[in-house]
Amino acid sequence: MKPGLRDLRSLLTVTVVAAILGLLIVVQLHGQTGGSELQSKSAQELTSIITSENTENDRLRAEITTLQDQLARLQTDRSNGATSVDQIESELGRIRAWAGLDPIAGRGVEIMISGDINAAAVDDLLNELRNAGAEAISIEDIRVIAMTSVGGVPGSLDVEGFLIRDPFTVRAIGRPETLVGSLTRVGGIIAQLSATNPTVLVDVKPVNQPMILPASKRDLVPAHGRPTL
Amino acid sequence: MTTLGARIRAIPSWQVTLGLALLALGFLIAAQLAAEGPRVRYTTQERSPLVETALALQQTQADLKTRIVGLRQQIQDIEQQGAGSAAVVKDLNTRLEQARIAAGLIRLHGTGIVLKLEDSTQPVPPNGNESDYLAGATDLRTVVALLWQSGAEAIAINGERITTSTAIIDIGGSVLVNAAYIAGPYQIFAIGPKDLFARLSATPGWEEFVRIRRGSFGIGISWAEPDAVDVPAFAGSVTLRESKSVPSPTPTAAASGAAGAVGSGP
Repeated sequence: MKPGLRDLRSLLTVTVVAAILGLLIVVQLHGQTGGSELQSKSAQELTSIITSENTENDRLRAEITTLQDQLARLQTDRSNGATSVDQIESELGRIRAWAGLDPIAGRGVEIMISGDINAAAVDDLLNELRNAGAEAISIEDIRVIAMTSVGGVPGSLDVEGFLIRDPFTVRAIGRPETLVGSLTRVGGIIAQLSATNPTVLVDVKPVNQPMILPASKRDLVPAHGRPTL
Repeated sequence: MTTLGARIRAIPSWQVTLGLALLALGFLIAAQLAAEGPRVRYTTQERSPLVETALALQQTQADLKTRIVGLRQQIQDIEQQGAGSAAVVKDLNTRLEQARIAAGLIRLHGTGIVLKLEDSTQPVPPNGNESDYLAGATDLRTVVALLWQSGAEAIAINGERITTSTAIIDIGGSVLVNAAYIAGPYQIFAIGPKDLFARLSATPGWEEFVRIRRGSFGIGISWAEPDAVDVPAFAGSVTLRESKSVPSPTPTAAASGAAGAVGSGP
């Protein structure tokens, strides 16, 4: 009898351990799946994500409408045996201006900055302007593009290899009310800058007359990457 | 030795099995606890609809982006078909393709590197700041800036192409790139010269970044130098709503004088 009982006990022990093991493996694998990141967010964080995604999806739908119109016009021209130079030029102008290859004009905001602001804070400001929907940005007469980074030390910042001395102006094209609202909201970037850089003065003002921001001086044609479909 | 071998052989097989199972159990419990560490988990029921909504919106966003890329390709195909019809159109199409490449609207393939940033697995000290132990938007922006300074020509984070309009922001413990929610680990693909990583690691900023983020907070920083890297096209909006182009004095000026419909038939 004794060996039989011991066998049963050991069998039960192994079974219980195996069951716990299996459960943990399932939990671990479940934790690795894609949706788990969202599961770890608070309701407030999820609401922010949903708001942001809704806004972006609206932008994407508007872009699709624009592209569909453009495609329809091209198809009509093609069926008529013609190619619209106007349309291609318009497309070219739009993309070149958006990318920073051409100057761009529009209303927006002007931000005067004086004091010992550091490069990271200027970079934060550029990031906030992009997030607020700025269509183009410049620091003094240097167009800010994807590759633009701000370096140097307070008082003599380096933007695209050009020296920016105190004070300087950042201009951004976009809906002035939206840009000003985003920059100056409670807890926004201006408030943060004031808190972390108390000696820095930042003056934001809407510009309702068209400003012209210059083209980038950079060559944006890649030397190491080639286009693929 | 013979005695030891005999003793080992004398151990019942169920004890060996149990020992191995307990070892695996211990490993899994440790892994589970480590995974739970930095990221707080919430269990309230009211979040379920929010999670479902966010997931549905992400899927919608991915579908919309796929449609945009497809429509842009269709437009490009039609424009290219008219390329041989007239010198003006051909020139315009060449310039248009160059502009699209410069803008990040075309997928690129070339030499480069892949970097990976992950949350720390270190426990947060009692007086520590939890966000310091998470890979976030500031880390990504730092790495992106250093890559540009090192000669990168095209960059994408988890499939989101970095363009002139790209903002990288934290929302709670999440990161939004091009307003798309992305989750860690973050993979940064960069096209550039063959020695891109050597250039990157030679910058004082990279040394400082690794020292502080990995050394002080345990942020996972790893990299690879594959033979080639692919960086996807930007699939977001390039519509100018508040602005308009101011053409540069380039050869287009001559072409613009020929604006209108040009016959493409035989």
